[in-house]
Amino acid sequence: MKYLPRIIFLAIAAALAVWLWTVFFPSPEKVIRKQLLSLAGDVSFSPGQNNLVKIAHAQSIADFFATNVVLDLTLPEHPEQTTLGRDEITQAALVTRQQLTELDVKFPDINVTVAPDQNSATADVTVEGNVSGERDAILQEVKFTFQKVDGHWLISRVETVRVLS
Amino acid sequence: MLSLSREYISFMAAGLGASGLYSPSNDSDMSESCCRIHNLRENFVMADATDTGNPQRKPDWLQIIAIGRNPQYTLARIIVLVALCVFLFHYVLLAVKVDGISMQPTYKNRSVNLVNRWAYLWHEPRRGDVVAIRLAGVHLMYMKRIIGLPGETVAFSDGTVLINGQPLAEPYEKWHCDWTLPPKKLDMDEYFIVGDNRTMPSQNHTFGVVERFRIVGKVLL
Repeated sequence: MKYLPRIIFLAIAAALAVWLWTVFFPSPEKVIRKQLLSLAGDVSFSPGQNNLVKIAHAQSIADFFATNVVLDLTLPEHPEQTTLGRDEITQAALVTRQQLTELDVKFPDINVTVAPDQNSATADVTVEGNVSGERDAILQEVKFTFQKVDGHWLISRVETVRVLS
Repeated sequence: MLSLSREYISFMAAGLGASGLYSPSNDSDMSESCCRIHNLRENFVMADATDTGNPQRKPDWLQIIAIGRNPQYTLARIIVLVALCVFLFHYVLLAVKVDGISMQPTYKNRSVNLVNRWAYLWHEPRRGDVVAIRLAGVHLMYMKRIIGLPGETVAFSDGTVLINGQPLAEPYEKWHCDWTLPPKKLDMDEYFIVGDNRTMPSQNHTFGVVERFRIVGKVLL
């Protein structure tokens, strides 16, 4: 029994060490998850937002993507479109902000799978988008492909997944 | 009266021993456990105590309401209940809130329901079942009714569902629609799902063929 306090202390210390390790050296899954949540925040905008803030967010969206990004999106009632390049993404974000007054994007489910080589990963994400003036939310499963470039995880491909056909 | 109570206490102690809570290894342990049982069953033994002139402290009702007669048992019950609830609402049932009108009038907008994840452990989904369809996860799902089973051909003709060319009776569909859709043959792991509210144009209604792995469970209520 006299060793019990020591054992408890060691267990707490070990748990603390593991927690600190995960804080300072997060796993790729955690980094990608955090990055996607930031992306959702940057894509969203509210009507009362300052124009400069809107432009800054629109430009920061491009930072999440690789230079040779491929967008393969088939949204309901919208034609399939493929855009290449980060400039087009920034442009699309700016146009969206001009056309809509409010957009709220959430990623309620994110499933990240890292490749064995630790240099690429895929994330299956449920995207929930609420557009001002629309009664129903847009619901879509999207697959993001990530590539590790210079130590940073960048999105190289975005494609919609058909749940119902 | 006293001897009866002792028998009762011995019986309870034996019961605890069998359940692993108490082991009658020595007399001191026995007396402690007896006291505990006495406190637990205060109402039963109260009459004995009055008869023998043994002064008994009146039960503190506030304490009993807050933490029960025996805090240890209360704690054990709380732990068991919490573990049971976590297991139940994580692995067996999913609490969901309906958002949208596509399942009206069966399920109203913003109503709360439960999804049984174990519903299809022993049998496959059946026609007429209302199921939850997952996307990337289970935080946000579709809620639809199965009308077509694997291998069948599903079509709509002026609002009537045709399964392999035969009309399907749908008592849950209260409002008639005018949808006409070409026949669709389902693969062996595919189901055809649709909402109960088909008053809107088919282009505005989310429905179609879904693979088996996306069916999370059956809506309970």
